[in-house]
Amino acid sequence: MKYCRLFSPGHIGPLRTKNRIKYAATVTNFNYRNGYVSDREVAYMEAQAEGGAGIVTTQGAYPDPKGEGKGFMGQMAIYDDRFIPGLARIAEAIHRHGALAALQIMHCGREGGVELDYCVMPSVVPQRLSYFKPPREMTLQEIEQAVRDHVAAARRAVEAGFDIIEISGIVGYLISTFISRYTNRREDRYGGDLRSRCRLMVEVIQGIKAEVGDKVPVGIRLCGLELLDDRGGNTPEESLETFKIAEEAGADYVSVTIGWHESARSVITRDVPMGHWLPVARRVKEVVKIPVMMAFRIFTPELAEEALSRGDIDFWEVCRPMIADPQLPKKAAEGREHEIVPCVACNLCFSRLYYHQPIMCTVRPTLGHEGEPEWGYRALPKAPRRRKILVVGGGPAGLQFAATAAKRGHEVVLLERSAELGGSLLLASKVERSDEELLRFVSYLKGECERSGVELLVGREAYPKDAEGFDLTVLAHGARYLKPFPEAIIPKEAFSPSLTPGRAAVIGGEGVGVALALYLSSRGFQVAIIEEAPRIGRDVNPFYLWRYIQILKKRGVQILTGSRPLVLDQGKLLLSHPGGERALEVDLVITALREDRSSELQAWMAHAPQVLLVGDARRPRRLHNSVHEAYRIAKDL
Amino acid sequence: MIPVVDRRICTGCGKCLQVCPPRALELREGKATIDEEFCEECGICAAHCPEGAIAIPWPDFVPHNEQIS
Repeated sequence: MKYCRLFSPGHIGPLRTKNRIKYAATVTNFNYRNGYVSDREVAYMEAQAEGGAGIVTTQGAYPDPKGEGKGFMGQMAIYDDRFIPGLARIAEAIHRHGALAALQIMHCGREGGVELDYCVMPSVVPQRLSYFKPPREMTLQEIEQAVRDHVAAARRAVEAGFDIIEISGIVGYLISTFISRYTNRREDRYGGDLRSRCRLMVEVIQGIKAEVGDKVPVGIRLCGLELLDDRGGNTPEESLETFKIAEEAGADYVSVTIGWHESARSVITRDVPMGHWLPVARRVKEVVKIPVMMAFRIFTPELAEEALSRGDIDFWEVCRPMIADPQLPKKAAEGREHEIVPCVACNLCFSRLYYHQPIMCTVRPTLGHEGEPEWGYRALPKAPRRRKILVVGGGPAGLQFAATAAKRGHEVVLLERSAELGGSLLLASKVERSDEELLRFVSYLKGECERSGVELLVGREAYPKDAEGFDLTVLAHGARYLKPFPEAIIPKEAFSPSLTPGRAAVIGGEGVGVALALYLSSRGFQVAIIEEAPRIGRDVNPFYLWRYIQILKKRGVQILTGSRPLVLDQGKLLLSHPGGERALEVDLVITALREDRSSELQAWMAHAPQVLLVGDARRPRRLHNSVHEAYRIAKDL
Repeated sequence: MIPVVDRRICTGCGKCLQVCPPRALELREGKATIDEEFCEECGICAAHCPEGAIAIPWPDFVPHNEQIS
């Protein structure tokens, strides 16, 4: 077998796991505001277990009744026995599929108090991210209560039927804020040298171990690297030491994580190469005897198998790749890796949590609908009537629509004008080198079309008369670019390698404009972005935008907001600007202004009984909008 | 969850229109109005509303045994 280590049994304390894959704790915001587990959460967790992971971990449950530990509106609670029945439903769902059930206890500390006007910390260290609440220093009594809360939570988890208890001590959550010298300035027994700063962690581990006994393993997630050097965080050596201290305290396994949410560096975005953080896990593995695990940009079973073979890790923790596809383990085991829905590290899931919304997944529209058969997570129901469908455009919307409709039993033909499938994702994949990863999704969608019997015709321009003979025509050929001046070129032309670097003005500073500026500035162009709104990147995920802006500024890209192009005359671009009019010398003007294709509907309707616009052709938006819209419409056909 | 605009509080400043990624908001009779067809339920409008007029309708759960009491 290709993944002999990944699918070999493992051990956590006294327990045996069927393989080395652990679905990692992931906040979903699927639960009720008052902490009760929802049906949606149970169905999602069941899908995770059904997918074949050896261990399935719940999202972190907050352990205190005041909600100081609550970091997310839909986070589940474990501070009272009344939550046990709901939690037990999750444990049962996991056990039904032969996985071990782990429950994570997560007091969000510096990131907690989501419904309060403060958060609790060892010392008052101001927040760097405005989203979080003003901190208040914990009293000694409150710290002792926090230990008792964690212990009581573990007792409830065992009563609910969980096999493993996991403690979260990462990214700015309570335990990590005690461990870090950045946030812990206490002078009592919980502050001072590293061992004293680890006292809360040690007391929590020891307290839980004493409560749950030898049969229930207790693991902890800790920071392998805080990436807070600019703020006086722990040194890498200190972080390494914390794993040893956890082992001494009785931890049965450790999970190595990287960075805090306020670290001023990329940690899990695409620009961080897959497998980049494995050496940190390796260092931990060299100093402890208990099993070591890691998630963090280990996106493929191949990479995980290699990491296990090298001895970097003992277990592969999977978070985002299993949000994208809970069936990842099963597909890998059966040699169907090409059928895995590939996470593209867009962090849509993560960013939604900070706007108090349930997670969503760009590449998997069924996320959160695992328990609703009509959504077709396991299989799409067959359509009552087989229809002949023409899809125009082989970008993400067209491919997703075609595959979904074909799976429902429709006869689907897809026409793509260019020689290659992928649409605007082909351009997006060229913006930064790491964006090549987006092509994994194109390959997956193409495979879905092929497996479901879609007839894919590339290099074939579509005309309205092509619609004849089809019951339905779906226009998914992307947005049209608006040219403020006839000389302006469209993004596709700007990506031509034959363009000579010069002075370029990008009209429009939403995602497309930002991408163009990144690409052209990397090629040596002097770039100006002209955007009417007060800010650029309105439709760009904040997890990416901060870094993009940093790069653009570093490369000297002029960001002209509140500006509108007026006249282009012999290389001089006149702009309206908040400070009056302004002229720019330019060699090239590229438009990033998009509009829908509704004006083309009429022509198609002359030949087709029914025409639909889908994706950017319907309204230019982001990738997930196109994919989800295509899926939603096609699944209901 | 589609956010809910409290029209009594909304001043019609239009800030939410500027930040909505899918442009699913407009001012109708001077009040922010969400086009549910295009709303992607991201909550960014609620986070940016200076008046706190936009909320995400988070549900609570009441178990049967607690409903009785």
